[in-house]
Amino acid sequence: MNNQIALVTGASRGLGLALASALVREGYSLIIDARDGDALAKAVAEIGGQVIAVPGDITDPRHRAALNAAVDAAGGLDLLVNNAGTLGAHPLPALAEYPVGELRTAFEVNVIAPVALTQLLLPALRVRGGAVLNITSDAAIEAYAGWGGYGAAKAALEQASNVLAAEELTIRVWWADPGDLRTRMHQQAFPGQDISDRPLPAAVMPGFLRLIRDRLPNGRYRAAELA
Amino acid sequence: MTAVMDFVLPAELAARAPAEHRGVPRDGVRLLVSRGTAGSVSNHVFGELPALLRPGDLLVVNTSGTLPAAVAIDDRLTVHFSTPLADGSWLIEFRHHNAAGTSPESLTRPAGSALRLPGGAVLTLAHPVTGRLWQARLSTAVVPYLLRYGKPIRYSYVGRDWDLADYQTVFARVPGSAEMPSASRPFTAQVVTELASRGVLISPVTLHTGVSSLEEGEDPYPEPFDLPPATARLVNHVRWEGGRVIAAGTTVVRALESCVDRDGLVRAGSGWTSHVVTPATGVRAVDGLLTGLHEPRSSHLRMLEAFAGPDLLNRCYQEAIRARYLWHEFGDVHLMLP
Repeated sequence: MNNQIALVTGASRGLGLALASALVREGYSLIIDARDGDALAKAVAEIGGQVIAVPGDITDPRHRAALNAAVDAAGGLDLLVNNAGTLGAHPLPALAEYPVGELRTAFEVNVIAPVALTQLLLPALRVRGGAVLNITSDAAIEAYAGWGGYGAAKAALEQASNVLAAEELTIRVWWADPGDLRTRMHQQAFPGQDISDRPLPAAVMPGFLRLIRDRLPNGRYRAAELA
Repeated sequence: MTAVMDFVLPAELAARAPAEHRGVPRDGVRLLVSRGTAGSVSNHVFGELPALLRPGDLLVVNTSGTLPAAVAIDDRLTVHFSTPLADGSWLIEFRHHNAAGTSPESLTRPAGSALRLPGGAVLTLAHPVTGRLWQARLSTAVVPYLLRYGKPIRYSYVGRDWDLADYQTVFARVPGSAEMPSASRPFTAQVVTELASRGVLISPVTLHTGVSSLEEGEDPYPEPFDLPPATARLVNHVRWEGGRVIAAGTTVVRALESCVDRDGLVRAGSGWTSHVVTPATGVRAVDGLLTGLHEPRSSHLRMLEAFAGPDLLNRCYQEAIRARYLWHEFGDVHLMLP
């Protein structure tokens, strides 16, 4: 039996949905969010188990406060998965033409919002010796043409994770690259292309579960290497 | 409550410097060995440890690293950062410092007052927690700040400041202890290799230990710890197979004993523990203890008594004083076997 509580952002589809489903099978109680309330309701039905859904936009401070209140009501938090993210402008423009407004949004969603949510939830995580799992990408460390907005934002999230790990003694901080997966976000990056050769998100769950179950040391991980 | 063992510790039995600066290698400090079943007490050198354990024994070590936890505020006053709390504040202690080290501050201060620390950080006092400890909040992240501005805590029996490296054990990975988890100080890469070659298992826990300057009769306060799933599984496996679990340090005992369930099995866990091991609570998941030599009337002696019982513990300390063992973080160590 497992009395642990996890919060997964962006859990209505793709990697977030797979993580939420895997955590429920591990015995976690879940709090999940997503912007699209209908998709979130479908996800709750699909995930099963004990799930509280809080629809909203992670960049909205009132929504983050609602998530914090849900954590309080649930009685604490053992795991925060900052999965919600945005690709930014797509099809992927070169930095020379990147719309600055879209760049700002990419940082707002991929960096500012997860850091702000983590700030709110740290007291609860510290009490239980919990963990923060930030979802990142190889675009944070490799130079892929067209991935400048998303990659720069994920690089910022990685360094925020790195510093958080140095500052917080009582929790785990991981930032993990799931690899290329057959998801809506990946399809947005490669419009019109067949991405059916990429694995489904379920394929990388063993790696993520090993990270979480064995409380591996703080640091950057690649899901493919964890399994 | 049972009486805590009392004795007179001659001042010259304080280790005033790290072993390697006293002309002895780290693993050359002395090792007092007591055996509960045999009721025996014998004298050894730490390097003999691998031969004193058995293949299949599990040594659990603390990977907490020592922080440079002392920050000088001015010519007279130093603050010691002891323990982080869940709301991000810390337990701290003010000490008067002088050439000989530091002594506790007895000044009373108003709650809410703020002190300026080196580098422009501001320390705001929330409220007193005990006669000496305050709950306080620093204006910046404490661990990176200490790594930049702090130096290791030193009490007056240590003759001068030593480098942070002198306060790290070979197992230190996660900085977080206000004072060195000193039972592991004598371990060297060579001793660890010899242990592994002989089939002794080693597994980690992390417990960040706070300042040791407790007043008499004061219980240790809650400390942050992390007992990983792999270590929990190994502890249960080794005990099931009839091996012995030996804790390298009282911090390790505290972490393991905090995670024993009703069936006597150890479960992975993390957070803060306020568990205090005494003869009344007993020891449920640990068979032996490697530890330093402790001060008269200190709360750690109650944990040691839980392992050895009062009579054998008394004989150990009589022998340690007779044979002129050295006390404190740079001193000799004591292996208590079942």
